Order: sequence, then C-alpha cells, then structure tokens
Amino acid sequence: MAGKAPPTIDVVVLGVSHRTAPVALRERLSVVPDQMDATLRELKTLPGVREVALLSTCNRVEIYAVASDTDAALRALGADLARRAGMLDAEIEPHLYARTERDAVKHLFRVASSLDSLVVGEPQILGQVKTARDLAAKAETVGPVLATCFERAFRVARRVRRDTEIARNPVSVSSVAVELAHNVFGDFHGKSVLVVGAGKMSDLAARALRSRGAALTVTNRTRARAEELAAAVQADVADFADLADALGRADIVIASTGAQHPVLTRELLARVQRARRGRSLFLIDIAVPRDVEPSVTELEGVYVADIDDLQKEAAKHLAGRRSEAVQAESIVEEEVTRFLQTVGGRQLAPTVTAMRTHFIGLAHGEAEKFLAGLAHLSEKDRNAIVAFADALAKKLLHLPQLALKKDAGEAVSLVAAVRALFDLQGADPLPEGEQGEAVAETAGVEGREEPS
Amino acid sequence: MTALELGAYALASLLYLGFLVGLRDKPGRLALTVAVLLHLGDIGARCVHGMNPISSTPEAMSFISFLLAAGYLLGSLRYGLASAGAFAAPAALALLLLARVVPAEAGAPAMGTLGYTHILLATVGVAVFFIAAVLAVVYLFQDRQLRRKEFARVTDRGTPLDTLDRLAARCVSLGFPIFTVAIVTGAMWIARLGVLHGAAALRPEYVLAVVTWIAFAVLLVARLGGGWRGRRAAWLTLGGFGGTVLVLVVYFLRHAA
Repeated sequence: MAGKAPPTIDVVVLGVSHRTAPVALRERLSVVPDQMDATLRELKTLPGVREVALLSTCNRVEIYAVASDTDAALRALGADLARRAGMLDAEIEPHLYARTERDAVKHLFRVASSLDSLVVGEPQILGQVKTARDLAAKAETVGPVLATCFERAFRVARRVRRDTEIARNPVSVSSVAVELAHNVFGDFHGKSVLVVGAGKMSDLAARALRSRGAALTVTNRTRARAEELAAAVQADVADFADLADALGRADIVIASTGAQHPVLTRELLARVQRARRGRSLFLIDIAVPRDVEPSVTELEGVYVADIDDLQKEAAKHLAGRRSEAVQAESIVEEEVTRFLQTVGGRQLAPTVTAMRTHFIGLAHGEAEKFLAGLAHLSEKDRNAIVAFADALAKKLLHLPQLALKKDAGEAVSLVAAVRALFDLQGADPLPEGEQGEAVAETAGVEGREEPS
Repeated sequence: MTALELGAYALASLLYLGFLVGLRDKPGRLALTVAVLLHLGDIGARCVHGMNPISSTPEAMSFISFLLAAGYLLGSLRYGLASAGAFAAPAALALLLLARVVPAEAGAPAMGTLGYTHILLATVGVAVFFIAAVLAVVYLFQDRQLRRKEFARVTDRGTPLDTLDRLAARCVSLGFPIFTVAIVTGAMWIARLGVLHGAAALRPEYVLAVVTWIAFAVLLVARLGGGWRGRRAAWLTLGGFGGTVLVLVVYFLRHAA
C-alpha cells in the first residue's frame, strides 16, 4: 500500500433503498453476484475512488467507497449509477442519497444492524452485508479502510442483536404461526403437520415447521396441486376424501383452501378429537374466508389461530421492534464515536512519524545543499550547521506535534489536515498486520452466523 | 434462620409474580435457590436437634414445602417453567409459614418403623402431588388463554402445554406408588395401634384417603389406557390433590385438638 496516502476516514456511501426508490429502479440497479466482480473493478477505476464495495439486495443498492476526493468520487459514482439505470443524472438524483465520513460509517452500521431495513430487525441483512464485503474482497477492491469499517459493522450488528430484543419476536405471518404452535407443543420433533389446501402462505409455514423437525402431509381437493406442493416441501400426500383420517394423525393443521364455507367444521373436529383421544390439535387458519369454524375452540384440546390473530401478533411484535430500535440507535451512535476514536488514534502515530521524517529530511537536505558551496568550513562548523538545521526542524515540529496528540481520539480532522498539507506519503493509517487479523476474525465468525 | 428463609421465599414469590408482568425469570430463580439452600440448612440443623422432618406435623409441613420448592427448581432448570414459579414459590412460602406457626403436637403416639415409613412416604407423596397440582393449574390458565386467543401472554411468559401435561403426568405416576405404600403402611399402622390401644374407629380421613387414592388411580389408568390428557387430566389432578390436602387438614385438626 506504499505510494497511496489514505488521509482519514473518507468513507462515502451512495445508493438507493426502499425508502428512496421504487422497486422498478432498484431492480435496474441491482447487481447479480456473477457480475459483481466486473462491476466493482469498473467502479474502482472511477476518479477519486480508492476502495469500493457494493451492497445489492432487493431493498437497496449501495456503493461504499473510500474517496481520495469526496466530491469527485460522489459525482463519478452518481453518474455511473445513472448510466446503469438508463437515466439522466438529474432523473436519478432525487432517488439517491449520499453520506460522507461519520455519517457514512453510521449508515453502514445501521444497515448491518438491520435498523434501516423495511422490516426492522430482520436477520438476513447482516449476511448480505457480509457477502458484499466478501465479493469486494475477492475482486480486490476493498482496502484497509473499508475492510475495517465492515469488520466493525459486523461487530456492532452482533452487539445490537445481543443487547436489544430487536430480533426476538418474529414478524412474518408464517413465523408467528410457528411460534403460536410452539405454545402448545414446545418441540416439533415427531409431530405431524397436515397442510389442507396448497397456497403460498401454507408453503412458508410448512417449511418452517419441517425445519424444526415436524413431518408434513399435504391434502388438497385437486390432488395434482397437493402433489406439486408435496414435492416442493418434501411431504406425503393424503387424499382429500380421507380428511378425517389425516386430521386424526395430525398435531398441527395449516388450512388455506379457497372454499367459501368452513372445511374444518365443529362437527368434523369433534369426531376427530374423540378418535384422537384428546391429544392437542393446533389449527392455523390462513384462509379468507376462514376454513375453521370458530366454535371449535370449545372442543377439548383444540386451539385455533386465524389470519387476524396471526397478523395481530405480527403487528404487536413489529411495534415492539420499533421501540427496541430506539435503544439500538443509541448503541450505533456510541459505536460510531468509538470507532472513529480508534481510527483517529491509529492514524496519529504514523502521521507524527511521517511528519518528523519529512521535516528533518528537508532540514538535512537543505543543510547538505547549503554546505556544498562552503567547502572551506571546518568539520566542526559543518556539524554545527547541520545541528542547527536539525534543531530548527524539531522546534518547528514541537507545537504541531502537541496539537496532534491533543487531537487524538477527538476527531480526525487535524491528522487529515497535516497529511494533506504536507502530502505525507507511505505511512498507512492502518498497518497491514492489524488489517489481516481483522479480516481473519470476521471470516471465522461468519461460518457460524451466516443463515443457511 | 427462619426469618432469612421466609424472607428469601417471599422475595422469590414476589419476583416470580413479577415475572408474570414483565420481569425476567432469573432473579426469581436465584432468590428461590437461595431460599431452598437456606431451608435445607435449617432442616439439617433441626435434625441435629432431634426435630427431623417426620418428628412432628410442623416439621413435615416444612419438609413438604422444601421438596416442592426444590423439585420445582430442578424441573425449571430443564424445562423453563418460570410461570409455574408464580404458584410454586408462594405455595412453598405459605406452607413454611404455616409450619412455623402451628405448634408441634405434644405426645405424638409412639410411631415405630411402620409409623415412620407411613409419615415419610405420605410427606414425599404429597410434595410430588403438590408439584403436579401446580403444573395442572398453570396448564388450565394457559389453556384458557390460548382458547381466548391471548397468545402473546403464553408466548412471552408461558410453558408449552404439552410440556406441562407431560411433566404433570410424570409427577402423578411417580407420586402414585409412593402414596400407595403410604396408605398401606398407614392402614397397617392403624391396625397395630388398634391392637395396642383398643378398637380404632373408622375415621372420615381414612375414607377420604382411600377416595383420593382412587382418584389418582383413575387418573393414571385414564392417562395410560384411555388417552386422557390435557384439561380433563389437569382437573382430575387438582381434584386428587384437593382430596390429599383435605385428608391432611382433618388429620392435623384432630391432632391439634
């Protein structure tokens, strides 16, 4: 990394998200993993861009970059996005948001912690941010600064999940259904799930239950549809005519038929429940109009959750997440401050060293030049002149050095200014050794956290 | 010692009740653990002074309270029964309080091996049924909440119904043989006393004890053979336990008089 001089945390982010752009625009900008490598390399050649990573999910497309010239980089990246969207710069402009420095770091932390997600607290985003980092690492477009930011973002996201209850309760209808069934059964191993009717929602809930150990059976008025769904979720198929038998064997029923009248009537379930000898039966009714006659809850051991119940629970959980998000935001704020302090601290020492080397080098160089024309001087006098130059340089450095040390941790502005003023080269703010460790650490954690 | 114990049980009860309205379950569990350990120490100390758990009615009550709390605690470590703590901890507290208030009966009959066996087994059996009853109560509460669609309360604070039902069944099948032997030794003991001190009258608590035994027998058979479970089993458990308590109350009253 010699030859480059990353001055400070000049991180920028430019992108579109579900908050600013319609899906039509987001899908035009989205980058599939196969094209990621080429796209990243292309982005890195843009003026002012030194490091770059791209996060592309269904809800956002964001470019994270380290810029040597913030304005130039943002202009170039904006133009590039406009080109790929097939729009004029002015057309895409209202949909774009740009953040720089502290705000950019904070944005990354918020995104990774799922605070900026459509469904706050949803768990996928962290994996997606990790993938973005990995792809950029593979394309060799991330450098020390972005890598450190990402690594810290993962840590912040884990802390948010650990210290708040933001992701505790499920908010999707299908996971709420599973959660409610858990109230009755606790453990789904060895339990049987009967899916009556083959809709999209029942598919999701059935998959969720199967992944928790339950066995699935599907039944549908049209057998072909049942077989289709059964193949998709690896389930058995039961004949619709044998509904009562199938119910007798089930512990959980997911009903989503298109029938106009209840399929699971009180009379039918009373008969079934007698045969089941009172074993608990949990009915998840996601059909509208409802498939389960409401009065079945009067039967012993029969519990029902209809679509209203599921949505009510989901809404409650969502509201809970929003209140947890307040706490999460303050964690993020705190972590951003801490991160910038660390980075500032790490940049100080090499900057001071570089500045000293620069000044003392200059002084000695000038002294040599000056002495070249004064060959008649004695060795002692020559040494005195060199010593004078050296002392002058050190005196001049004294106050700036003090100011820099006072500034350490507070902000990175002075360090940045010094680097810019003297065009200090070669002293990377983030030593490579540390960088390697940081990447290795997150890579190790990833295997455990990545959703399968 | 007693004050500390009672204090710890009271604190545990408050914390577990607090759990129902939003506290975490850890503080309650911690307080109850402290209470149980203090209680165990107290029982040990009393044994040294000749007041072992079956030497008198109050000691036996204190022992039941200890078994209830300790049994609940062990179960909750494995099954997460925090909501049941709101019943178990206050019940243990009430029982211990009662034990410390009730005077030890003077001149208890000479017991012999038969008497000791009977009282020890009856004490342990009651404690086990007590736990089953606590689980049954929680089951009935949650069953009602689920049928009324107050799902969130169960999700946040409850224990899966199946777990409660299974544990209660296990307690009853564990308590039943103990209780059976207790009844048999009790009957033999009465017969022996009758021989020694003249004819023993057929007292109401004897009948009640047998009725209770029959209730539990029916429950066991119904669970194993008839597939009875859930709500009906919970009610029958409570009925059986109610009978047990009644037997004890009548017994205590007679001896206190």
